[in-house]
Amino acid sequence: MSYENKLLQMKKLLGKKTEQKKEKPKFIKPEPPFYSEQWQQAGLELVENEFGMLFKREVHYPFDYKHGDYKLGELFPSLMRWELLAEDHPFAISGDETIVFFDTETTGLKGAGTHIFLLGFLEADDEGFTLTQYVLADPSNEAALLFESKLWQRNVTIVSYNGKSFDWPQLQVRWTLNQQFLPPLKSQRQIDLLHSTKRLWKDDLSRMKLTQVEQDKLGFNRIGDIPGHLAPIIYFDAVKSGNAETLMKVLLHNEWDLLSLITLYIHSTNLLFDDISTESATTYTNIGKWFGDLKKRQTSTEILQAVTTHFEAKDTGYAHYYLAYELKRIGETDLAIQSFQTALPAIPVRKQLQAYEQLAMLYEHKVKDYEQAYIYTKIGNNLLPEIPFQKESHLQNQRKNWQKRLSRLEIKRNKNFFDKK
Amino acid sequence: MLSKKRTISQLVDEWQYDEEMKQNIVAMHTIDEKQAQYADFPSNLHPSIIKALHGRGIEQLYIHQRQAFDYAQQQKHFTAITPTASGKSYCYHLPVLQQILEDRSSRAIYLFPTKALAQDQKSDLNELIELMDEDILSYTYDGDTAPGIRQKIRKAGHIVMTNPDMLHSGILPHHTKWVSLFENLKYIVIDELHTYKGVFGSHVAHVIRRLQRICEFYGSNPIFICTSATIKNPKELAESLTNSKHELIEQSGAPVGKKTFIFYNPPIVHPTFGVRRSAVLEVRDISKRLFEAGIQTIIFAKSRVRVEMLVTYLKSLTAKKIMDESIQGYRGGYLPSERREIEKGLRTGSIQMVVSTNALELGVDIGQLQACIMTGYPGNIASAWQQAGRAGRRQDEALIVYVAQSTALDQYVVQNPSYLLGSSPEEARINPENLLILMEHLKCAAFELPFSMEDTYGEYEVQELLAYLEEEGVLVRTSTKWHWMSDRFPAHEISLRSAAQENVVIIDISTPANTKVIGEMDTYSAMTLLHEEAIYLHQGTQFQVEKLDWEEKKAFVREVDVDYFTDANLAVELKVLSEDKSAPFKNSTVSYGDVSILAIPTIFKKIRFNTHDNIGSGPISIPPMEMHTNATWMSFELPNNWTEEQLTDALTGAAYAMGSFIPLFIHCDRSDVSVVPQVKAVHNEKPTLFIYDSYPGGIGLSERVYDVLLSLLERTAQHVENCPCQQGCPSCIGAQDSLGENKKQVMKVLNILINEMM
Repeated sequence: MSYENKLLQMKKLLGKKTEQKKEKPKFIKPEPPFYSEQWQQAGLELVENEFGMLFKREVHYPFDYKHGDYKLGELFPSLMRWELLAEDHPFAISGDETIVFFDTETTGLKGAGTHIFLLGFLEADDEGFTLTQYVLADPSNEAALLFESKLWQRNVTIVSYNGKSFDWPQLQVRWTLNQQFLPPLKSQRQIDLLHSTKRLWKDDLSRMKLTQVEQDKLGFNRIGDIPGHLAPIIYFDAVKSGNAETLMKVLLHNEWDLLSLITLYIHSTNLLFDDISTESATTYTNIGKWFGDLKKRQTSTEILQAVTTHFEAKDTGYAHYYLAYELKRIGETDLAIQSFQTALPAIPVRKQLQAYEQLAMLYEHKVKDYEQAYIYTKIGNNLLPEIPFQKESHLQNQRKNWQKRLSRLEIKRNKNFFDKK
Repeated sequence: MLSKKRTISQLVDEWQYDEEMKQNIVAMHTIDEKQAQYADFPSNLHPSIIKALHGRGIEQLYIHQRQAFDYAQQQKHFTAITPTASGKSYCYHLPVLQQILEDRSSRAIYLFPTKALAQDQKSDLNELIELMDEDILSYTYDGDTAPGIRQKIRKAGHIVMTNPDMLHSGILPHHTKWVSLFENLKYIVIDELHTYKGVFGSHVAHVIRRLQRICEFYGSNPIFICTSATIKNPKELAESLTNSKHELIEQSGAPVGKKTFIFYNPPIVHPTFGVRRSAVLEVRDISKRLFEAGIQTIIFAKSRVRVEMLVTYLKSLTAKKIMDESIQGYRGGYLPSERREIEKGLRTGSIQMVVSTNALELGVDIGQLQACIMTGYPGNIASAWQQAGRAGRRQDEALIVYVAQSTALDQYVVQNPSYLLGSSPEEARINPENLLILMEHLKCAAFELPFSMEDTYGEYEVQELLAYLEEEGVLVRTSTKWHWMSDRFPAHEISLRSAAQENVVIIDISTPANTKVIGEMDTYSAMTLLHEEAIYLHQGTQFQVEKLDWEEKKAFVREVDVDYFTDANLAVELKVLSEDKSAPFKNSTVSYGDVSILAIPTIFKKIRFNTHDNIGSGPISIPPMEMHTNATWMSFELPNNWTEEQLTDALTGAAYAMGSFIPLFIHCDRSDVSVVPQVKAVHNEKPTLFIYDSYPGGIGLSERVYDVLLSLLERTAQHVENCPCQQGCPSCIGAQDSLGENKKQVMKVLNILINEMM
């Protein structure tokens, strides 16, 4: 072996000094807070695990427990409907999944300094439903709280209200801060009922707050509820003073949130499956549009058509409008034109502009009636100044497009005229 | 027709025979070109990097670049002094890229003082990475970053380019989303180190301490690489900013092109009062010559108002051409999109002349400009060289014209060119100990990670401060730790850029259907620039402030066309709160401590363009602003045979002159430190000169004045004595209302004070 080769062999032995991995710091179990007794007297149960302590509250409900208009047990027929449908839908839950309704209370809105002080879970068991609430004993006992949630161990489907963008990411933040000691958080399927609520009741509900939905749709009115934004202050007070009286009201608030999640799921499922009944034309139009966006075209068309026959003309503008797009897509030019025309008087001006554009396109490219196409383009163009645009550049672009269409149609029209001559 | 196009040397030759020009050219100085000093590539330099460098035609490194690479290899923090166009970015790109190529999990943060600089450097770096043909991801992360790619940057960006503000409020408080960055952070690059001075620098020092704390939590120990323009104390600044020991690289190996400096003093138009022609007008005329000669020029002016005035004047050169964009303004109040357009225009050459505040001093890449005009001394040597560096970046011949204003410092510089050309630059000071600043960041730090009972924060013992925060109700103490316990988001409560935390939004209501925000301004400046009836200039257009909603911090302006601008005054009241240091002399005392200042806007004046006549005035109705800060003050006995009125005038003159010279000693702007005389100070009823930091809590400037007060007085006296005026002028003791003895009186007072301290 040559000298160089020997050296090269030895190079492996030399090695670069690798950075020494720091030893995992040992977990020091925190002391219990001074108010352990007081919190237990207020009605909380003390739980200890290898990471410290936390408090717990458990409530059981029978299947026929009524919360607002619905019994909790009605969840099962709802789940059955999805099972029978056997179609892909973001809302569908299969019988194999373990459903957990989930809601947290936090000390702020974002960042590493925002603590989760209450983890609320509601799930079905053999006798009924069980609510389990875990309360942060103090911030030093956070690992104990997270560990107790079993979310590192179980596989569940989390049903929440705005949990996808708030509660769950916040839980991930807390988990990361304790990653040195805790087993990793499992990623779980998320079903966010805020999302479905927005789809169902856009332009129907003025606010999408859960309490608003309860009142207007679920027949539940809260009495003696503390507003959610006070929750942080109440928790601070409980930690500082040791008095957990008011904190119990936050737990009740969280309990109601969770119960309403079940009935909201039931109610929403029914709406998606049932024929038109008590809700507004807007809601059913929203449902039709949602199915359309999910590429369930036939269901969408059926629902939208039902809306147009079931409600008064002034309320069905949007239904005709969306229906028109579906009809255009399947090549029903005449019906599409008819639907756009019917929609026009009952939709806002911004949508009108789009309807005129569609009409102009249909007449120009499908019907080849340039005179009609020209008329609709003219109307659309005249409508432009009435529409508030956020940016000057948007308006300029629109203006350019309409002008282009207008001059193109003028040429086609003239050509047609001379050809005829 | 004869072409008016000229080269720089032709132009300089012509000016020496031009009657109008030559009488005002006080001095001309040429700095010869300097040859490059090279070093070989390091033996372990990664082949891909070598490939990229070859791709750019680089066969050797400059010595400073090599030194930088070697220090980084030895895992030493270092700071490199890098003049403009010395290839400074290789000082950090090479070690960082080398590290990433050796270990793909490595990450780095590049910190630039502004968004614009980060974006600029990103295109440069990406070009280099492309030449390397390696899969290395670099991104800018700032307020403009699209939400869609933020996730990707957090998880996978090898090099994250950002600014201190974003780090402070967008990254550190959300560190759990950046786990892989913090776990693998190998380098933190701080570019333009010299900009981190004063209040801003003090804030950033804390942002970095918070960053270090988070790195420690995730088990990383990154190396700091800083680059800086020439200042007196780069090593000290870097060390106090990063709380780490630094090596210093002082010698640049980059070549320098020939530079011609012209020192230009406007002619005296009123010999008795020593009044010179306005520098702005002179700059206008010189700019016109450069514009006609076809030379791409940058004009620096010190204030936003000056920039707008010059743009207004200069745009008349192209008024006859339709849609001509070849002359542009550029300053802080413009919207980012406007600024990007201008930067592009400069690079492509469609803009021939740009008028800027110091916003363009920094390394924004605007390509090759041939000439630079400084309207007045920018306040410190480092800035002057940065501005001068804008001309002839790539070894070409460059022209720098310094046009003196009539202020004392400007006149001093024009009469002593060697000061600018030869002397050592000023110090940059930060004061992370400012308790107001420290407490704000301590809150942020506690928000980010809990403090244990043994923890320190940076170099500070903070247990007692944490106990105070517990009393304040934002922390809670458990058995082991201090935890944040508030629904507030502390990072949003601090702005790093100014001590005044709110900005006034400027809203154009000229077209009722189309009101729009055209800019913003800090509250302190707004007191004198956005009061009702003020003329506010934006891109050369005049606006009058119709209504100022001080509560809501909104100024409503309407476009006008008038032939004047406005100038406002502030009255100041001072109270001593505590005395930390004191030195007694025969009949006087010099002290340093905390003071309270009440600033009251009083009146504004309307001043006509061109002639600068005062054509009217009015009151300002804005509530006074109170501020606690640090001050150095000198109290003395009323000299025999002096009346209080005489002393008032003399002290006002002395204060004016002294204030001008403070930037000679400390790297700060003229407005960072104020000198205010009181004939009967509230705390001891004695004549007193106060020198205070213009920022709440102080930033260590006036404390430094405490040490150099005697030199300051001497330098001031020498300048006033040598000033050619008879009764005092704006270049020494300020314009005088009446013909009188005031200049002599000022000299007497200054000499009394000097004798006291000798």
